[in-house]
Amino acid sequence: MRRLKRLRSWPSWAAMFIAVVALLAVGSTRDTGPLNPGDRIDSISRRVACPVCDGESVFESRNPASEAIRAEIRASVYDGTSTDDEILASIANSYGGKVLLVPSSSGFDALIWALPAAGLMIGLVGLWFAFRRWRAEAAALGLPSLDDYSLVEEARQRRRGQEHE
Amino acid sequence: MSAALGNAGLLVTLVASSVGALATAVAIIGGNRRALRQAPIYAAIIVGGATLAVIAMQWALFARDYSIDFVQRVGSSTTPTLYNVAAMWSALEGSILLWVIVLALFTGGGALRFVRRRDDELVAWALVVMYVVMTFFALVSFGPASPFAPGATVPVGFDGPGPNPLLQNHVLVLFHPPLLYLGYVGFTVPFAFAIAALITGRVGEGWLLETRRWALFSWGLLTIGILLGGWWSYEVLGWSGVWAWDPVENASLLPWLTGTAYIHSVLVQQRRGMLRVWNLSLLVATFALTILGTFLTRSGVINSVHAFAAGEIDGYLLGFFGIVVVISLGLIGWRGDALRAPGRIDSPISREGAFLANNVVFALFAFIVLLGTVFPLLVEVFQDRQTVVGAPYFDRLSMPIGLILLFLMAVAPVLPWRTASAGTLRDRLFWPAWCGVAALAVAVAVGADRLAPLVAFMLGGFAGGAAGRQLVLATRRQGLRGLVGRANGGMLVHIGVILIAVALAASNSYTHSATLTIERGERVEWAGHSFEFVGVSTEVTARADVVMADVLLDDSKVYAPAVTTYLQQGMTVPTPSVRSGFTSDVYLTIDGNDPPAIDADEIVLRVFVKPMVLWLWIGGAVMAIGTVLSALPSKRSRRPTDPTSAPMPEMQHG
Repeated sequence: MRRLKRLRSWPSWAAMFIAVVALLAVGSTRDTGPLNPGDRIDSISRRVACPVCDGESVFESRNPASEAIRAEIRASVYDGTSTDDEILASIANSYGGKVLLVPSSSGFDALIWALPAAGLMIGLVGLWFAFRRWRAEAAALGLPSLDDYSLVEEARQRRRGQEHE
Repeated sequence: MSAALGNAGLLVTLVASSVGALATAVAIIGGNRRALRQAPIYAAIIVGGATLAVIAMQWALFARDYSIDFVQRVGSSTTPTLYNVAAMWSALEGSILLWVIVLALFTGGGALRFVRRRDDELVAWALVVMYVVMTFFALVSFGPASPFAPGATVPVGFDGPGPNPLLQNHVLVLFHPPLLYLGYVGFTVPFAFAIAALITGRVGEGWLLETRRWALFSWGLLTIGILLGGWWSYEVLGWSGVWAWDPVENASLLPWLTGTAYIHSVLVQQRRGMLRVWNLSLLVATFALTILGTFLTRSGVINSVHAFAAGEIDGYLLGFFGIVVVISLGLIGWRGDALRAPGRIDSPISREGAFLANNVVFALFAFIVLLGTVFPLLVEVFQDRQTVVGAPYFDRLSMPIGLILLFLMAVAPVLPWRTASAGTLRDRLFWPAWCGVAALAVAVAVGADRLAPLVAFMLGGFAGGAAGRQLVLATRRQGLRGLVGRANGGMLVHIGVILIAVALAASNSYTHSATLTIERGERVEWAGHSFEFVGVSTEVTARADVVMADVLLDDSKVYAPAVTTYLQQGMTVPTPSVRSGFTSDVYLTIDGNDPPAIDADEIVLRVFVKPMVLWLWIGGAVMAIGTVLSALPSKRSRRPTDPTSAPMPEMQHG
């Protein structure tokens, strides 16, 4: 039992921390090479809306309009001279900015990014205020007295008695 | 005949629910106990009326009664019987009728469950609320969205087009919508009790205990409904995904998120008598979001691939949503003083602190999903231009939220109520944390890369270890009964969620795809698999022509991705063929716009290799089992007044 306790001591946690950092470093920095063309086409087409469908991306849609855009993306990928962003910009030029499924981070569209951040801040600040108030209330009450414990014990005894009846 | 019977059934439902609401409310206010005892009778009449309407609709679909407009649009002599049953919910009017029957059954179930307490004011007001909700839906179904409206005169020999081909292409359409509706509508019962508690002023924990299983049952059905929708998408739509952040999918996720927050935070109220306003607000939000979601997706204000059922009831739904929100918030404000909880949360590092954090994260998640869903509408209103918000936005923001939730799932189960010491955390988290390290090590060993999925696997192992620890301790104490009850069944649900989260992280991060052009008889190798084009086969029926490309996969079995042309609609639907496995799926499709000819020399095959997809469905099954187990009573039930697990502070003598 004591050995188990010792096993759970802080040095074991330190070893665990080092193992996690090492594994994450190895895994996240390993070079798996560039995406294969199929995966790159999928990745770009996921970010483009089908111009004539209802709420589908070019990746999901099987509409001829989507097939045409996918063919355009495929040609650009196999051409190999443009980056993903350049291919997206070229599609936005041809079909209009509304085909891009990721809203921009400027102007009115920035709200879609800013509001969740504001929501998170409000949640965190709200929690901070709530805990501060609860802590102040607890401090004002002080520790429970012996009388308080007696009252609780009496109530428990009463209930136990009721349960046995 | 069918139309007359159906209309009669809906009229009976409408009259019984509206008279029931009025008569019960008058009986409560006037203290008329005799009239109160009759309140559940209206529920029985409602069930009878709604059942009659559904039977009439099913008969009309079965008999192809083309005197009815709805049957003209979704009926067809070529539709197989099972899909003919499902045709009822393939368009707006039938969906609302499905809502009516499910709500009627819940209202009847609620009335039956509490029939012995029918003269209790809380139960009676809850019945009034359910009757009012029933009145609204019966009114919509009898009026603007009537499934029994007469159709135009049709020529002799007329045959309808049948349901949308996507809705007669897989057996899951029989289960996915009804289960989703059971989940949506089921929340009406706890919502009704919450409103009844506010009206009567009995805002303690009694109404929560009464409705705990109803909320859990509805949440479980909603969960299964959503997962079956993902499965349907995977098996039918041909893009190899399960979730596209489509507005209709988001509309089902919103009440699930607030409902999930509720079934966690309600534990704090049951145990500590706290978070009363918050819990009421979550329940109101869950119910209201089902109405808002229906409005958003059925009104056509937001486009969706699921728009099988757009119609003209947006004003009714929006009005009802507004009434629900205003009345609920008004009642919460009115009972503000009574709702003030006497206790406090002592420390953020405690079970209730973790539940609170969980609730903030779920509320933020729901806010993001709602914002992303309605943002195109806001842009159109304020800027008069069109925009689309799609999966990349939701993926980017939901990923960190998912990781935080996995972390909370790992830590919360080991936290005691009230407060936790560093020593307690160190002892209780030790083995779960090592499970996380082991999961990470396995992921790295099998070649996983990129930080986000690696962190997801690590946290998945950590959370799985915490849930497993809890179950091991419980089963050591109580044997198999240790798997039953709120806390232990809940841990099984957590394991299901973790399996789904890990499967999603793996399949979203490590899917590979390619478009292969293969000549007849040629064998092509890609991503460790071989594909041989064997030939093209066809299947011709009165309903559809099916063209299948037979592909020998890994020299073992022939798979046949197909393109089905539905003759009545003239619409082609590609159907994927999938080889499922515990480590990965191989998903094959062919282009629906250009199906191969019977003597084609080559095919263009789209191939996806998707890791761990099977674990999504296994996780869903585990969640379903866990939900059932957590609804069963455990051996040792704690009361809110039982001593808590935190050590008592030192006594002050004097």
